[in-house]
Amino acid sequence: MSPQRVLQTLRELWGRGSIRALVIGISALYLPLFLFALQDISLGGRAFEFLTTDWTRMFDRTGSFTFEPIARLTLPGLTILLSPINILVGGLISLLVGLNLAVTWIAIRQPRACRFNRSTGILASVPALLAGGACCAPAIALILGLQVSSLMVSVVQVLIPVSVILLLITLGLILARTNPELIE
Amino acid sequence: MNSTRLIALLAFATVILVLGLLSDSVASETDPSLPVAETPYVLGDPIEAYVEFMMSGGPPPDGIPAIDNPRFIRADEAGLRPEAMVIGFAHGGEAKAYPQSILVHHEIVNDVVGGLNVGVTYCPLTATAQGFERGETTFGVSGQLLNSNLVLFDRETESYFSQINATGLSGEHRGHTLAEVNLIWTTWERWHAAHPDTRVLSDRTGHLRNYDRDPYGSYTPLRGYYVEDRTMFPVMHRSGSQHQKEMVVGARTADASARFVLGDLESERIQMTENFLAVYDPTFHTGVIYERPDGVELDGLRVLPGGDYEFNGEIHPPRELPFEPLVSVDAFYFAWHAFYPDSEHPRVP
Repeated sequence: MSPQRVLQTLRELWGRGSIRALVIGISALYLPLFLFALQDISLGGRAFEFLTTDWTRMFDRTGSFTFEPIARLTLPGLTILLSPINILVGGLISLLVGLNLAVTWIAIRQPRACRFNRSTGILASVPALLAGGACCAPAIALILGLQVSSLMVSVVQVLIPVSVILLLITLGLILARTNPELIE
Repeated sequence: MNSTRLIALLAFATVILVLGLLSDSVASETDPSLPVAETPYVLGDPIEAYVEFMMSGGPPPDGIPAIDNPRFIRADEAGLRPEAMVIGFAHGGEAKAYPQSILVHHEIVNDVVGGLNVGVTYCPLTATAQGFERGETTFGVSGQLLNSNLVLFDRETESYFSQINATGLSGEHRGHTLAEVNLIWTTWERWHAAHPDTRVLSDRTGHLRNYDRDPYGSYTPLRGYYVEDRTMFPVMHRSGSQHQKEMVVGARTADASARFVLGDLESERIQMTENFLAVYDPTFHTGVIYERPDGVELDGLRVLPGGDYEFNGEIHPPRELPFEPLVSVDAFYFAWHAFYPDSEHPRVP
């Protein structure tokens, strides 16, 4: 199937209010989780406080694909660091996760709409899981109780772009096998 | 402008340029910006082996931002819990406390204390707080790790330094030992009691972080990485003879190194090895290490009930014994052993 056909299928699916709501809903849930994994949203905080810093610092890298915050909102028990580029990257990944999971849902609920085995739709969740872990190697090692190796650091450093590419590939694969006319 | 004037002007400019370059090179030979120790510390391994073993911890250089313009507040404004861990430095009549909760996010503070330009450095993975004179330059966090320990760099020459052995790994300062000052790793309650006039690093650091959260665990109560009997990054030398996160106090000279398990030192109060003497300092719950003096009989050294020591009929606080004091570094056992596997250590019955 040509890329034009994939985009056409995507447009048709997006045009359906229920599917669009599902994608937006999943993305809205996933973005805070992604920012929590990056530790831009974290527990801990005393009183209400809002601080800002020089906006040009938003381009300073804290990791391979993570960037400095330029504002901090502190609430009792919760701290939110506002890093525009992290939110942008997280928004893109969340949207792709939303689309992947939505088409997976279609594959599972309405397999006759897709010309492949319904289990293939689960493919979409693999890169989504990867993207959720796209933070820093020590944080992952701490959670999993692993020792960090050079290889692990290298892999984690490219996890965000790899996640985006995998999400795009799985989305393309599923859309290429989806016939929107069969979706009820 | 005729050609003669042009040639004269060019010649004059060339002379000025050459003189400028010469004066720069003379200045850099005679007045290096970054102070280094006259005698380098002993190393556990060749520098080539360190460089080969060094690995990325994830962040790029300065990805963990050092605090370059620190602000300080009064002790009564700090709002620290008594048991909160701080790094204390007293010099030239000035005392400052750097809360661990802030340093865990920045690892380096480029500060001036008592007129001394100093880099206060802290590595959460190895629990090491070490101070280095910085001259007119500043230090940054390289993002590299050696034996799970902070590798810093000076921003003038971009030489990389290992924190625990204070030694240059690359660049112009490769093989040089940084001029080290003695920091104290203790609780806020202890530091404040000893230095009521201390000022405290403010959390208005110029950077935005959640200073109420430690990404590795907690010291109050002790949990997470800080208490687990495992390490996170590979180390060059490993030993299972102690819990990996047991606190030790270590010191080194040009020829040897030693480490003392803090809990044992607290019990014994005085411990010795072939070349080192350690006493317990109850004020800060840490150890003070001296070079063991040649030809001096130390049997007469004894501890007094208040925590002072008596030697040859005179009473001395732990930090003022009449021996050659060394920089004493508190560290997790695994980290000290990784750098100094042949460290002298006392036999504990």
